[in-house]
Amino acid sequence: MREPEPRGLELHVVHAGYGLRPVLAGVSMRAEPGRVTGLIGPNGSGKTTLVRVASRGLRPSAGSVTVAGVDPYAVSARLSARIVGVVPQELAPAFEYTVLELVLMGRAPHRSRWGAGTEDWAHARRAMGAANVLHLADRPIGELSGGERQRAVLAQALAQDTPILLLDEPTTHLDIRHLVEILGLVRGLARDEGRTVLVIFHDLNLASAYCDEIVALSEGRVVAAGSPEHVITRGLVRDVFGLEADVAPAGVTGRPSVVLSPPVAAASPNPLGAPRAHVVGGAGRGASVMRALAERGFAVSTGVLHVGDTDAAVAERLNLLRISVPPFSIIDAASARDVRSMMAEASLVVVCDAPFGPGNVENLRAALHVARSGGAVALLQQVPIEERDFTGGEATALWRELASCATTYGSVDAVLGAVGPRD
Amino acid sequence: MRTIRRRWAIPALGVLLVGAVLAGVAFGTIGIAPATSVRLMLWKLHLAHRPAGVAESTAVILFQLRLPRVLLAALVGAALAAAGTVFQALFRNPMADPAIIGVSSGAALGAIVVILLGAGEALDAMGVSAAAFVGALLTAFVVYRLARLGPSVQVATLLLSGIAVAAIVSAVISLVMTFSGQNIRSIYFWLLGGLGARGWQSVIAALPFVAVGMALAAASAPDLNLIALGDERAAQLGLPVDRFKVVTLATGSLLTAAAVSVSGLIGFVGLMTPHILRLVVGADHRRLLPASILGGASFMILADLVARTAVRPEEIPVGAVTAVLGGPFFLYLLRRERRAAGARA
Repeated sequence: MREPEPRGLELHVVHAGYGLRPVLAGVSMRAEPGRVTGLIGPNGSGKTTLVRVASRGLRPSAGSVTVAGVDPYAVSARLSARIVGVVPQELAPAFEYTVLELVLMGRAPHRSRWGAGTEDWAHARRAMGAANVLHLADRPIGELSGGERQRAVLAQALAQDTPILLLDEPTTHLDIRHLVEILGLVRGLARDEGRTVLVIFHDLNLASAYCDEIVALSEGRVVAAGSPEHVITRGLVRDVFGLEADVAPAGVTGRPSVVLSPPVAAASPNPLGAPRAHVVGGAGRGASVMRALAERGFAVSTGVLHVGDTDAAVAERLNLLRISVPPFSIIDAASARDVRSMMAEASLVVVCDAPFGPGNVENLRAALHVARSGGAVALLQQVPIEERDFTGGEATALWRELASCATTYGSVDAVLGAVGPRD
Repeated sequence: MRTIRRRWAIPALGVLLVGAVLAGVAFGTIGIAPATSVRLMLWKLHLAHRPAGVAESTAVILFQLRLPRVLLAALVGAALAAAGTVFQALFRNPMADPAIIGVSSGAALGAIVVILLGAGEALDAMGVSAAAFVGALLTAFVVYRLARLGPSVQVATLLLSGIAVAAIVSAVISLVMTFSGQNIRSIYFWLLGGLGARGWQSVIAALPFVAVGMALAAASAPDLNLIALGDERAAQLGLPVDRFKVVTLATGSLLTAAAVSVSGLIGFVGLMTPHILRLVVGADHRRLLPASILGGASFMILADLVARTAVRPEEIPVGAVTAVLGGPFFLYLLRRERRAAGARA
């Protein structure tokens, strides 16, 4: 077994609660120096209580806490405050302190009784610079916006200059620019300065993007811990938050990203008696049409799609009738035959403005075939076909031919307007 | 602008205090010019020769009547203002004041009980002050326990607890008075509040208590800033919260008792002084506390000056003067506080 890292934070089978109400029920977890550890979980799962326990604010009824190799409950409040700094969710001073006064209070565990030394000033100034509140130094905090206040509190904790920093939802009131700035700063504290940083997140995508490790709490227990890829999964979101969500690697970070969407009522593959619409999509261009049609009570089918395509994932999520082929493959003869009959039996075929290449141009041929035999076909064109033709002209020719025997619409709403409500 | 005001506020308050002392000793049945007072004081301090052409009676009036009274007023005002500053931070509430939260009544009860037990003579003024301290301390703990429901003390709970405790204390005082007989006059003195002719004896009785109280308050000033952030945050910043609160309650009680045992119940000084000075020097207790001490002393000297000169030869109890000024101020604050609470809700 690995030796516990002396500078980190470790909880070992911690039980803690308020009075007779237990909140943490045997939590073991570890946050390592140089890494950002995220703490996620629904309201009441024990995240804030865990922060309290680690910052000498709530003595565990059983189990042990170690901060930088020390039991915080065995040392003075002052010594503990030199090891562990906390950024609370809210701070409501009884009086109107200025930002500078507030930040200098962060030096309390280090300073002598009176006055602030040069070193204290230097720390306070650096902390205010990092949290971007230097220009607010002389402003009373009552005059600040929620985000400015939150940054002032962060500066107070930074001035405390502790090897371990616990942040209880530091981003609640921040606009997106400051959010990115502050989380970047927090990550720098871990990566560049080797501090142990534990952050409570409500936003799973932020947790996924910024954390090296994530610990998920539910009902006072650790239900998952490890890398974001390991922890943030569709199963976890379902089990811990009771939500169906899509989890896929985000485009830029490659980290899991959670997409929440309102649940669709009519999600059975083929409601009896419902008129069916067939959607030709691809590359995400069909997603909104499929969803809108499903919400209006249509049975929706789609295809042919490539496995791994965004529209294929949406179709799977909406539980639609679908035909799919392996990624990047050319539509095989059997699938081509199937999709023609699927289109022919639909009461409406909607062809979305997806990009068409050799792999999926067969869908246009199938739609043209249905249109020529008298089927209702709607074309959705927001992007001209020339810009999404990757077949060297074949798709453009097919689209133009289709346009002559089908109706063309300029937006999803226009298509839906023409379809009308089902009931 | 703000920084300039803050930098010069404390020296300016020092100048104000010197001015208040000179004004305080200047007025009365005979006037003493500030220049004469200064020369006489320098002589007494062996820093100058006896000023020529000053009547012996002037020196007697200055040193035996006016100066002790002015210094007593300064001590009482400084102690009450310091106590108010400490209680406001501890209760996390700008409406706290030794009189409003009932601590002054507790101190008066302690003093009265000792006097009526006949121990007053034997124990001298120090004994009365010590008894006042015990009374103040007990009341402070009771009110703090009663008023505290959440992370901070709500105005309504604080005022109601203070009123309830003060009412109980008053009832006990009345009961004690029923059995007192001949001592009723000296009890009356505590209930009205005044700095009547008690001379150097009172100054000497109050001085050690005020000095110790102020030293304790000064030592806790940086940590008063932390406790004003709330218990949990103060602990996260390294303050041993429970011990600090006990020490601070005791400090406020000591200062209150020191004032009450020589001046009786004088209200609103502890409320108004820190409140007004916070607007001038800011909320940092390392500046607010010295500013309140200087400001409270000056305010009390001037209030006492009004009390003894406004309707000469009669004297108004100084507690009445502070109440006339402080009552409306308190109502204004209460109204503003309630409105702010309404806006938050």
